[in-house]
Amino acid sequence: MLSYILRRIVSTLPVMAIVALFVFSLLYIAPGDPAVVIAGDQASPEDVERIRQGLGLDRPFLIQFGSWVWRILHGDLGTSIFTSLPVSAMIGQRLGPTLSLMTVTLLLTIVVAVPLGVVAAWKAGSFIDRAIMAFAVFGFSLPVFVVGYVLAYIFALELEWLPVQGYTPLTEGFWPWLQNLILPSIALGCVYIALIARITRATMLEVLQQDYIRTARAKGLGQGGILFVHALKNAAVPIVTVIGIGIALLIGGAVVTESVFAIPGLGRLTIDAILRRDYPVIQGIVLLFSFVYVLVNLMIDVVYTLVDPRIRY
Amino acid sequence: MDRRTVLKGLAGAGGLALTGLSAPAIAQGASARTLRFVPQANLANFDPIWGTQYVVRNAAALVWDTLYGVDAKLQPQRQMVESEETTDDGKTWTFKLRPGLKFHDGEPVLSKDVVASLSRWAARDPMGLMILAIQQELTAVDDRTFKWVLKQPFPKMLYALAKNNAPCSFIMPERIAKTDPFKQITEYVGSGPMKFAKSEWVPGAKSVFEKFTDYVPRQEKASWLAGGKNILVDRVEWLVMPDPATAAAALQNGEVDWWENPISDLVPVLKKNKNISVDIGDPLGNIGSFRMNHLHPPFNNVKARRAVLMALSQEDYMRALVGDDDTLWKPLPGFFTPDTPLYTELGGEILKGKRDFDAAKKLLAESGYSGQPVTCVVAQDQSITKAQGDVTADLLKKLGMNVDFVATDWGTVGARRAMKTPPGQGGWNMFHSWHAGADCINPAAYTAIRANGDKAWFGWPNSPNTEKEITAWFDAKNLEEEKAAIGQVNKAALEDVVYAPTGFFLTYTAWRKNVSGITKGPLPFFWDVSKSA
Repeated sequence: MLSYILRRIVSTLPVMAIVALFVFSLLYIAPGDPAVVIAGDQASPEDVERIRQGLGLDRPFLIQFGSWVWRILHGDLGTSIFTSLPVSAMIGQRLGPTLSLMTVTLLLTIVVAVPLGVVAAWKAGSFIDRAIMAFAVFGFSLPVFVVGYVLAYIFALELEWLPVQGYTPLTEGFWPWLQNLILPSIALGCVYIALIARITRATMLEVLQQDYIRTARAKGLGQGGILFVHALKNAAVPIVTVIGIGIALLIGGAVVTESVFAIPGLGRLTIDAILRRDYPVIQGIVLLFSFVYVLVNLMIDVVYTLVDPRIRY
Repeated sequence: MDRRTVLKGLAGAGGLALTGLSAPAIAQGASARTLRFVPQANLANFDPIWGTQYVVRNAAALVWDTLYGVDAKLQPQRQMVESEETTDDGKTWTFKLRPGLKFHDGEPVLSKDVVASLSRWAARDPMGLMILAIQQELTAVDDRTFKWVLKQPFPKMLYALAKNNAPCSFIMPERIAKTDPFKQITEYVGSGPMKFAKSEWVPGAKSVFEKFTDYVPRQEKASWLAGGKNILVDRVEWLVMPDPATAAAALQNGEVDWWENPISDLVPVLKKNKNISVDIGDPLGNIGSFRMNHLHPPFNNVKARRAVLMALSQEDYMRALVGDDDTLWKPLPGFFTPDTPLYTELGGEILKGKRDFDAAKKLLAESGYSGQPVTCVVAQDQSITKAQGDVTADLLKKLGMNVDFVATDWGTVGARRAMKTPPGQGGWNMFHSWHAGADCINPAAYTAIRANGDKAWFGWPNSPNTEKEITAWFDAKNLEEEKAAIGQVNKAALEDVVYAPTGFFLTYTAWRKNVSGITKGPLPFFWDVSKSA
């Protein structure tokens, strides 16, 4: 297993290299110019050109790419064009809020969605099943920002239970940290709860038709044991896969959620960097995200072996 | 139903629900010594000479002081300077600094710091460049005295040093001010009333300023950038909120104290909340701009440009921008900011009265226009440019033009508008922008009015008459001469259509009622602003 994990990690290197080349090329040919943004609306074309030179943006593609790769190989993601801060420091500032948001959302999703899916499958065709599936359709259909605004209105403005916006680091206390994450996590989690609940139900329905489930019932096992020990474990592989895909999709969803709830996370940093054409920051974030995607896939593969002993690498 | 409708409805519902309620627990726990402010944009860099965005200028005004400051009457007043003298021929200016001025690192502000700061500023500022062109020497005489010797008089010297248009002549320590003006500084040691807390800076999210206790304010009452800059709170936090509905909710909820520029859609909601005050933020407002490329057909022909002016309805543009609130806009038959001393409508008849499409079409035909595509590059991520672009597309179609509408983002417009190539080869025919009214009170910082061809702002208008009158304004020795020159600038610029003004518009600012001392001005002033619990 260890050698498999090492092989997989090593195999990410060419993937990352291709991503790096692709992103750098794309940004190079993309329209827009950070020097224009820096210089301001009233700047003369000469001023803009001088700033471009100062930033080294007038150099040929290969030289720019070469010096960027060289820095990456030395563990340096570069310096933001706008803030003059190291990209790694900027990502570090934003990692905490995004990781917190994703963690709480993921936990909420799993805790709510899996039992809902199991119950829906168990009570297939009943009112409970239809209610859960109606909720799932609802969750799929509502955009994150609509859910966010409605939650903020009810729980922040109307009931005054929770703050509208912002982020408090965990170091300042668990409740202040959680307080800022509850509404964004629910808003962001809705679509994933819907997705995972539906997948869990569909997979469970199939498993519940299997002979070994009938055998389990025949030997007098309780409903809970049948559902959560025998059936769920056998239905786990597709569910784990979807949860893994969900983690990757959460990164995209976080962009909107972080904007609506003014959370200073990586999603907002990405949007700001793209709009300003802050190339080193965009490149750093994309590299990080691609690494996370690869890592999540690896984790899923490892989890497969835990839930299904037949899978071995 | 779109996203904007949803947020407006929900913010409205929130506003109604909160009317009559007291501030929530979250707000009551907040310190009255910290003022939480939502700025108009993200403070992405913090070098006011290298980056000239308004948000950088606004933050820099807290951290760095200037030698002079313009007051609410648009007059330059002494700020760091104690006295100045000029020789009879107007060529030598000698300035003396106030005693007791200190930088945030505790070092005294000396003439050598001023000389380095002015040198860096002058390399980037349009007025500074004019001074540099006639400069003989800029030297420190002693620790508190410095001298600027010119080859010819420059009557607007004090205005240049006082103006609030970016870049302002902020005073920095010599070692920082010696940075190449086209490279960014990385150390933020200020001379102003607040210190920048770099360790708490999260670009895109939060910037923090702390009171500088060693700052020596002037004794006069504060007026814009002039007078005593007394800071009455310990800390000012700038919280960036990209979503206006979130900012509105945070203001209603007491999580922030002051929102610099609420969007007009949400203002009615804020006005209904008894805990919130709403008023015009900047009385100098903004001027909308329809900028044409003078290098390529059809707008290289003045007849085509005048055809646009004849048909252009400023009311259409302004309603698209500010909605039905008639207090927020006014027609502008000219280029200069209304209600300022030099405002003029001379030559503005073409923008007044009923729009004459028949005459405009005739003029367009006379210009030789024969249906070639007109490339309109319109930034969709800026509400002001998007709204103007939509009106323009309709206007040009009504004129019978073949509109090539390029919907893109501001970053792309910024790069593309610098291209002088024909529209079919990456260039453009027109784009929209807007200019802060503070920049348009006279030609000093009004880059967009310049019409010196290749050296002019994007669109590269060439109007010798306009340039001649701008020079006359710079040489003017009194207000009457200035007014006469500006009248002629307006007339000449409209005749040659340097650009098409789409109207004058204002924006609001909103704050919680436990905050006092907020004044109207071209930037948010934090001196004399206090907050009760």
